Amino acid sequence: MNVLPEWELMAPESIDEVRALRAHHPGSRFLGGGTDLVVNLRRGIGDPPAALIDISRVAEMKGISVDGERLRVGAGVTIRELADDPRVRAGFPGLAAAARSIAGPTHRHMGTVGGNLCLDTRCIYYNQSEWWRAANRYCLKYGGEICHVAPKSRVCYATFSGDLAPALAILDAAEVEVAGVEGARTLPLESLHTGDGERYLALEPDELVVAVRARRPAALRTGYDKVRVRRSIDYPLAGVAAGVVREGDRLTDLRLAFTGTNPRPLRLRGTEALCGGPLDDAGMERLSGLVRRQVMAMRTTFTSGHYRRHAAGVLARRLVRRLFDGV
Amino acid sequence: MIRLLTYRLNGRERTDAVPDNVLLLDHLRETVGLTGTKTGCDGGECGACTVLVDGAPVLSCLTLSATVAGRSVETVESLAEGGRLAFIQEGFHRKLGSQCGYCTPGLIMASEALLRQDPDPSEDAIREALGSNICRCTGYVKIIEAVRWAAESSAARSGSPAEPAR
Amino acid sequence: MTEASSEGAPARVRAIGEYVPLVDGPDKVSGRAHYTADLPAAGALAGRILRSPWGHAAIRSVDTSEAQALPGVRAVVTGADCDHTFGVLPIAMHEYPLARGRVRYRGEAIAAVAADDDATAARALALIRVEVEELPAYYTAEAALAPGAIDLHEKRPGNLERDVEFEIGDLDAALAGADLVREKTYRCAEVCQAQMEMHAALADYDPERGRLTVHASTQVPYYVHLMLARCLDLEKSRIRVVKPHIGGGFGCRTETLHVEIVCALLARKAGGAVRLVTTREETFLTHRGRPEQSVRLKLGLRRDGRIAGVECETVQRGGAYSGYGIVTILYSGSLLYALYHLEHVRYRGRRVLTNTPPCGAMRGHGTVNVRFAFEALLDEMAAELGLDPFAVRRANLIDAPAVTANDLLVNSYGLPECLDRVEAASGWRERRGRLPAGRGLGMACSHYVSGASKPVHWTGEPHATVHLKLDFDGSVVILTGAPEIGQGSSTVLVQCVTEVLGVDPGRIRIVASDSEVTPKDNGAYSSRVTVMVGNAAIQAAERLLGTLTEAAARELEVSPGDVEVLGEVYRAGSQDRGLTFDEVAAAALRESGTITVKGNFSTPVEAQGGRKYRGATVGSSTGYSYAAQVVEVSVDEETGQVTVERVWVAHDCGKALNRLAVEGQVQGSVWMGMGQAMSEETGYANGLLSAPNMLDYRVPTIADSPPIDVQIVESNDPLGPFGAKEAGEGSLAGFLPALTSAVADAVALRMDELPVTPDRVWRALERRRREAERAARTKRRGAGNGEPGSASGPGPGAEPGAKPGPATRAGGGRANGAPP
Repeated sequence: MNVLPEWELMAPESIDEVRALRAHHPGSRFLGGGTDLVVNLRRGIGDPPAALIDISRVAEMKGISVDGERLRVGAGVTIRELADDPRVRAGFPGLAAAARSIAGPTHRHMGTVGGNLCLDTRCIYYNQSEWWRAANRYCLKYGGEICHVAPKSRVCYATFSGDLAPALAILDAAEVEVAGVEGARTLPLESLHTGDGERYLALEPDELVVAVRARRPAALRTGYDKVRVRRSIDYPLAGVAAGVVREGDRLTDLRLAFTGTNPRPLRLRGTEALCGGPLDDAGMERLSGLVRRQVMAMRTTFTSGHYRRHAAGVLARRLVRRLFDGV
Repeated sequence: MIRLLTYRLNGRERTDAVPDNVLLLDHLRETVGLTGTKTGCDGGECGACTVLVDGAPVLSCLTLSATVAGRSVETVESLAEGGRLAFIQEGFHRKLGSQCGYCTPGLIMASEALLRQDPDPSEDAIREALGSNICRCTGYVKIIEAVRWAAESSAARSGSPAEPAR
Repeated sequence: MTEASSEGAPARVRAIGEYVPLVDGPDKVSGRAHYTADLPAAGALAGRILRSPWGHAAIRSVDTSEAQALPGVRAVVTGADCDHTFGVLPIAMHEYPLARGRVRYRGEAIAAVAADDDATAARALALIRVEVEELPAYYTAEAALAPGAIDLHEKRPGNLERDVEFEIGDLDAALAGADLVREKTYRCAEVCQAQMEMHAALADYDPERGRLTVHASTQVPYYVHLMLARCLDLEKSRIRVVKPHIGGGFGCRTETLHVEIVCALLARKAGGAVRLVTTREETFLTHRGRPEQSVRLKLGLRRDGRIAGVECETVQRGGAYSGYGIVTILYSGSLLYALYHLEHVRYRGRRVLTNTPPCGAMRGHGTVNVRFAFEALLDEMAAELGLDPFAVRRANLIDAPAVTANDLLVNSYGLPECLDRVEAASGWRERRGRLPAGRGLGMACSHYVSGASKPVHWTGEPHATVHLKLDFDGSVVILTGAPEIGQGSSTVLVQCVTEVLGVDPGRIRIVASDSEVTPKDNGAYSSRVTVMVGNAAIQAAERLLGTLTEAAARELEVSPGDVEVLGEVYRAGSQDRGLTFDEVAAAALRESGTITVKGNFSTPVEAQGGRKYRGATVGSSTGYSYAAQVVEVSVDEETGQVTVERVWVAHDCGKALNRLAVEGQVQGSVWMGMGQAMSEETGYANGLLSAPNMLDYRVPTIADSPPIDVQIVESNDPLGPFGAKEAGEGSLAGFLPALTSAVADAVALRMDELPVTPDRVWRALERRRREAERAARTKRRGAGNGEPGSASGPGPGAEPGAKPGPATRAGGGRANGAPP
C-alpha cells in the first residue's frame, strides 16, 4: 500500500470555482492527468500540498477549436484528443506529430495539454525517491544546496522535456490563457518558461494555464521529430519542432524550437540569416552553428549532454530539409 | 479527508469510503480486494496497473480514487462471462501471451481498449496501443499473436470478417 | 494435448511435442492468480525496511527507541536481532539479513519495522537513528583492487571474491602456430533482471506452536527454508515455505533474499503475520543482476577458420556480498567450452567485491558477457581472413558425442542444424552484402547448461524427486517442489506424466512448491527443472503405470505383459472391452489404499564434470542447449540509433516437450539479450544506483521489439526426458554479438562496449572519424606507414578488402577506425 501525504481533493467544474477554491486553499496544487504530478508526489518531490484541485472536470478547459489558421486548445484536452483531432492533424501537423510522440498511449490518454506545457523540469538527480535524494544530499532544484550536474553552478539545469511547447512555439502568436485568484491574463508562450530549471514556470502559485492559442501562417509547413532510446514511454533526449516557408526555390521563413535539452523550450534565434535563398549546404552549416551555440544540454539524463546537443542538430537539419523539400 | 465514493466497478454500482490520498490501484487491491490489477513500478512506468475508466485505458497507479466518482471502472476481473474467458483472455492463454502473468492483466486491459476501438487491429496498431505496457518474459511476439487471435476469433463468432473501425 | 483416437478404439493421449498452453494460464489471464502481494492478508502488519544511504560505513549505533514508542508499531528489528549470516554458497555466507557492524552498499538493509499500517511503518522508519563512521567506498573493480584499498570482508583479502586461473593444453605454442592472432577488450555494463513482480513476502509466526509459515516470491523455496531456519534459529520442521505465483525470476530470486528473512524476523517479533512488499526502487537497489564485466580476449585462428587457442582474462564487479559470485566467475571460464571444439585455453577470472549491490545469477549465468566477446572477436577475425561467419563456426564444430578438454559431456549437439536453419531462414547467402546502406546482418552462436550437475548444498540425495498420488477419485496429483515461476515447469511436468500414463490430462493436477506437502526441490535455476524434475516425473509415472498394469492384469486374469494400456482403458486384447481407468484405479487401491509413488533423478557421474582445476565441476551438465541466430539491424549513422529489424533464431532443445513454451522461452531469451545489448544498464552516481526505476532502466517496449522467428532443432539427448534439454537461457547470449556484428555489417563499426545506446554509437563513430582524419594527415605528411593489424595489443586492425569511406559497406564489416 502506497503512502501519500494527506490532502483534500476537490473537483471543481468551472474556472470560477477553481479560483474560489484556490483562494481558500493557499497550499493547494492543480491536478490534471496526474502523469507528472502524481509521480512526483509519490516520490516526495515538492512540498506536500494541503489540497489538490482536480481540474479534469472544468468545462472551460475542454475543447479544441480551429478557426481557419487559428487554434485554441483547452489545457484540459488530453494529449490523445489533440493527436487524434483531424483538424489539428490537417492544419497543424507538427503539433499533432509532437502529441503523437509523447510517452506511451496510456500516458497520452491521461496526460493533458496543460500538463505537458507545464511539465516539471527533469533531472536524473531530481526524479528520484525521497530516500534516494536524501542519500545524495538533495539538489538545487529541491531541498539542497548543490547542483550535481554542474557543482559550481548557482542555477539549476533540470531539463524541460515537454513536446508540445516547441511545436506551438514555432507558430505565430502562441499564447497561454492563464487564470489566477486575482483574475485572468494572457501570456506569450515564450514567457511561460523562465529558463531556470528550478522555478521553471513564470506563473504564480495560484495561477494555472486554461488554454493555449496560436496561429499558423498559411504557408508554414510544420513538423516535429525527436530522439529517445526507447520508442515509447521515454522522454525525449532531444526534440525539435520546425516551421518552414518555401517560395519557389527560396527559403523565406524558418522557425525552430527544441525540447529535452535546455531548462526551457528553446526557440532558436538567428534563423532569419538562413532565409532569402535556397536551402544549401552553407545554410545547413549555419543552422548547425546556431544549434551548437544555443542548445545547451547538460548531463541531466542517463545520456550525455554532448550527444543530445548533437542529436538536436541532426534532427533539425533533417526536419528542415524534409519540410523544405515537401516530402 | 475521507469521502464516500460512488462509482461503477465492473458493471456494479458501489459506494466506498475512500481517503482523498489513496491511489485507485491501492483502493482496488486493498479495499475492494480485486488483486488482478498489479503493481509493477513506483508510478507510471510499466502499465501493469492498467484498468479502464469510462472505457479508456488508465494507469491506476497515477489515478487518485476520488477522481473516478461517477465513472465506470473496469478491471481484468470483469472480462470473463459466466466464468468463461473472454476472447482477449483466451488469446493470451492459448498463444502464450502470458508467461509469468504479472504484466498480463494490464496488457489485457490495454488490448481490450484497443479492440473496442479497432476490432481488427494491424500489427502496427497493436504495437502502438500497447506501448505503455512492459512485459519482461515474452519479447511481445506472442502478445501480438494473442491480440490478433482474439480479434479473429471475435470476428468469426460474430459471423462477419473483422473490419477496422477507422 | 491431443487424443489421437481412431474410429471407436480408445487411444492413449499424446502430450509431448505439441503446442500446449500453460496449465495455470487461465488463472493468470483472469486475474485470479495470486502472487505474494495478492494473498489474503487481513490483519497482517505492514513491514518496511530502512536502507543505508552510505556506500561503506562502520555502524556505531542504531537507535530504535523512538520508532518502538510510536503507537501502532508492533516490532522493530535490527542487526541485533539476527547474528547469523546467510548466502547461497555454503563457502561464502557473509551477508546479514540486517547489517551488523558495517554497511557495504547504498541500499543495504539496516532495520525494519512492522506496524498496523504502511503509513505508521513509514513514520517509524524515519524515527530510527543510525550513527556511522564512513569508510572508503569502492564503486569500481579497479578501485577495490587498487593497492591500499581496505577490505570489505575480513575473509576476502584484497577484495577478491575468487581468482580463477587455469590453463588446459599449451596456449603459447598454439598461438605461435596460428595464422592470425588478435586481442581485444570488451566491456559490458551491469544489467539486472527487472522482473515485473517486486520482491515480496508474507510471514506468519504462531508463537503458541512455535511455527513459521512464509509465502515468498522466490525461485528457491528450499534454500529459503534452510536460511530461515539458520537465521531464526528455528528447527526446519517448524517452518513451512510456500511459493505462490511468481512474477518472473531470471535469476534474481535464485538465492534467499534478505526480504523473506527480515519479514520472518518481524513476524516472530510481532507474534503474527507481516506482509513485506518492496518498492520497485528497492528491488533495483538490491538487485542480483549480471555484473559489470570487462573481458580481454585473445584468439588465435588458422587460415581455414579453426580456433588454435583462446586466452581470456575477465574481471567482474561483483558487488558487496558473495552471492553466487564464485560460481559466476567459474561459469565464465568453463563455458568457454562445449560450444566449439577447443583444445588450448588459458583463463583468468577475477570476481571483485565492491560497494555496489551484490550481483547474482542472471539468465545465462556467467556465460553471456564472455560469449559476447568471443563471438564478436571471432566474427571480426573471420572477416579479416575473408571467411564467412557461418563458415568459421562450421570449422570448429564438436564431433559429438564427446567430452570437452575440461571434461564436459556433450552427448547431443544440434549446432550444425541450428546453423543451417537460421542461415536458410534469414536468407543469409542471398541477402548478406546486398542490403541497402545502413542495414546489416550479423550472426552468432551460444549455448547453456541443462541443469547444473552439482547441487549447491550437497546432501547426497537424488537431484530431483517427484511424488504422484492416485486416490479414490481417480485423479493423479503431481507433488513437486519445482517452482513454477512463469517458465511453464508445471505444464511440462503435467505433460510428462500425461505422456507416460496416456490418460485424459483433466485427471492430472499439480501441486508445486509447498514444503508441507511437496517433496524438496532445489529450485528453478540453471535450467534444471525440465531435465531433472522431468526425468523424475517420468520415472514416477512409469512406476504408477506399472502398479496400475499389475492391478489390471489381476482383474483381467492375464499376465501384466499381456495388458494393453490405452490410457483411459486397460484391456487384454483388442476384443476385450477392458477396464476403465477408474476401475483399474479402484482395483489397485484395494491392494494398498491411496497410492503414492515416487520418481527420482540424479545426474549421472559421467556428466558431473572434471577435476582439472578448483571449481571445474561448475559448468557440468547432463546436456547443453545450442543456438544460432541472425540479427538484422538498421543503423542511423548521424544519430547513432540502432534499430533491430528482425531476428531469426534456431535453438536445439533436444526435444521440444511443449513447442509453444519453447518458442516463448527462446523469444524471451533473445529479447532479454536484446535489452542488454541495446538499452539496459543500471549506472551509478557515487555508488547510488541511478536508474532504480522502469523509466531510466530501459527495458525494451513493444515499439522497440522486432519479430523473432524461432526454429526448433531437436537433437534428442540420451539423458533428457524424452530427449529434452533446456530452452530458456541458451539463446540469450548469442544476441549480443549477433547485434554488434550486424552493426559492423551495416556501418563497418565494431562496438566493443554494451549497450549500444545512441550516444555510445555516436561516440564510436566520432572516434572513427577523428582517427581516419588523423591517419589521412599522417599519410599526407608521408611520415611512417601505419601498421595495420599488428599481431598483438588491443586496438583496431584493418581488414583486407575493406573499402574506404564511412558510408561504404564493407563485405565482412570493418574494424573501427583504421584505414585500409
